[in-house]
Amino acid sequence: MATLAQPHPDDQPLRRPNVPTADNRLPGVKDYEQVDRDVIATLKPTLGWFLALGAAVTALFIGAAAWIYQIYEGLGAAGYHPPVMWGVYIITFVFWVGIGHAGTLISAILFLFRAGFRTTIYRCAEAMTVFAVMTAGLFPILHLGRPWKFFWLIPYPNWRLIWPNPKSPLVWDVFAILTYLTVSATFFYVGLIPDIAVLRDQEKNPVRKRLFAVLALGWRNSDREWRHFTRMYLFLAAFATPLVLSVHSVVSFDFAMALTPGWHASIFPPYFVAGAIFSGIGMVFTIIIPLRKLFKLEHMVTINDLDAAAKLCLFTSMVVGCAYLTEFHIAWLSGNKVEQEFFWNRVFGQWAWAAWIMLICNMVLPISLFSQKLRRNTTWLFILSIFINIGMWFERFVIVVPSLSHEFEPWQWSGYAPTWVDFAILLGSFGWFFMWFLLFIRQLPVMAISEVKEIIPPKLRHAPHGHTSGGSH
Amino acid sequence: MQGVLGAFAEIDSTVHAIEDLKKQNFSDITVFTPTPRHEFDDVLDAPKSGVRKFTLVGGLLGVTFGFWIPIWISDYWPIVVGGKPVASWVPYTIIGFELMVLFGSLATVFGMFALSRIPRLTMTVGYDPRFSHGDYGIWVVAGPERATEAADVLRKHGALEVRNER
Repeated sequence: MATLAQPHPDDQPLRRPNVPTADNRLPGVKDYEQVDRDVIATLKPTLGWFLALGAAVTALFIGAAAWIYQIYEGLGAAGYHPPVMWGVYIITFVFWVGIGHAGTLISAILFLFRAGFRTTIYRCAEAMTVFAVMTAGLFPILHLGRPWKFFWLIPYPNWRLIWPNPKSPLVWDVFAILTYLTVSATFFYVGLIPDIAVLRDQEKNPVRKRLFAVLALGWRNSDREWRHFTRMYLFLAAFATPLVLSVHSVVSFDFAMALTPGWHASIFPPYFVAGAIFSGIGMVFTIIIPLRKLFKLEHMVTINDLDAAAKLCLFTSMVVGCAYLTEFHIAWLSGNKVEQEFFWNRVFGQWAWAAWIMLICNMVLPISLFSQKLRRNTTWLFILSIFINIGMWFERFVIVVPSLSHEFEPWQWSGYAPTWVDFAILLGSFGWFFMWFLLFIRQLPVMAISEVKEIIPPKLRHAPHGHTSGGSH
Repeated sequence: MQGVLGAFAEIDSTVHAIEDLKKQNFSDITVFTPTPRHEFDDVLDAPKSGVRKFTLVGGLLGVTFGFWIPIWISDYWPIVVGGKPVASWVPYTIIGFELMVLFGSLATVFGMFALSRIPRLTMTVGYDPRFSHGDYGIWVVAGPERATEAADVLRKHGALEVRNER
């Protein structure tokens, strides 16, 4: 005889908890129908949504106009001058790839670790990942003088039968980023299938119903489908976990494989991965805190979930801080005059202002999260998340610009000043990202309906011994 | 395909109805549930998913392809650097790993689609939109001679609705 799940009081452990929802409770949600109702309610467009979308599209147009100007004028319009030939574009590329890490961390790694708090926030984080990687993918192309020849990076011979060098970190980047984009988008879409089936079954508008029917692929919630789906999800999570770690490691190789002072360090892969996860969690807070307020989802994305995510944020901040300090330690221990000079210059020289923005935003301010009161204060978490986003952008600035402007020989020492084209394209990237995100939140569920339902105790016909009632569903 | 569909509001009634149906030798039973539940895995005693085989094959093909591409490129267009191998496996591990993940993941999704028989153009018989909302469903394949017997079992366990479909 099959054992039934029973309503469990708080002092009793769950029996064989369903993996993604282990030990998570949502007392504000009474039944399955409420989950559908509350999540589907978020799909109705509002004036605020239209205004936000308008702002995002305007920002995108500004960026696109600046890009067209840059193609016409040449890359010099972007403020490059030797030796600083990597600037805002590569900084922003690494920034968006980093943002894209939290989604897969939350959906895959926390899934494998059975962290219950992921359930209500992972869908937003996954969407953020896909759109952030889409944004990041634009930057290597924006950085090209002849962007229409971007496909030369793909291992496909050009018309002179020259193949790209597979020992080059830039080619590794192509494989890593395209794999990450494909796997993240696949993970995102297949996770959505059961939820799109809910929309299909609830939708009244015939056109949208038809569209959802196509996207749901005929999903019927049968035991056979769930059996294969849950296995698939587990294996995808198992693949995505090392992928998350590898992608930013590969991005770090773009720097670490060069002999440039400040870059050529074996600490770069873990340093980049920790920074990516940290920045991604910062962006999750930036997105999820206003969303739960605007959509009135505080009973689903509970303060406990945010508290747990804030602890993860604190931990990654400490790892990042440790990496910053280790870099100085390595420079000191190496006895290499160039490295020592470079790191001294980083904090007390030409770029000290940027380095201190980075250190304060990423190392100092997150220390506040040791306080439980602040971890549970959504206003503070939101403000902190903005500082983290700024700090992490400046981290990449501090990695890219000071190294290139202060290489081995004094004649190589220079400055760097971004132009309006750089800033317009940076703004445009935010417009592009938020345009997709805003379109997503009005068309598809921002929360994993079927997984949230796993948290809700199922309705029982016969109340078990020792319990007064079953779930209210 | 002909059978009987029962809709239930409670999970325990659904599980008990499945147990009873199995005792009555109804073997072709499909359960619809808004969310995956271990109770149904237990009572149906379903075999393990075969998705993992697709994952293994996809991953192995990916890693093989991921090493083969750069080795072939190096051989076809050699960049000779003094004293170093033209094709060196260490940096190619990155491409091998990435393609293992890519092919393995796509094969896993393909496996899920193939084994779950989706995409499906029609919803086929035995489905009701309430099964994605909050209710559980049991679809029992039964010819006209046993349909009444199956319907009686479903009603006995408190089905909200029982109907014959074909």
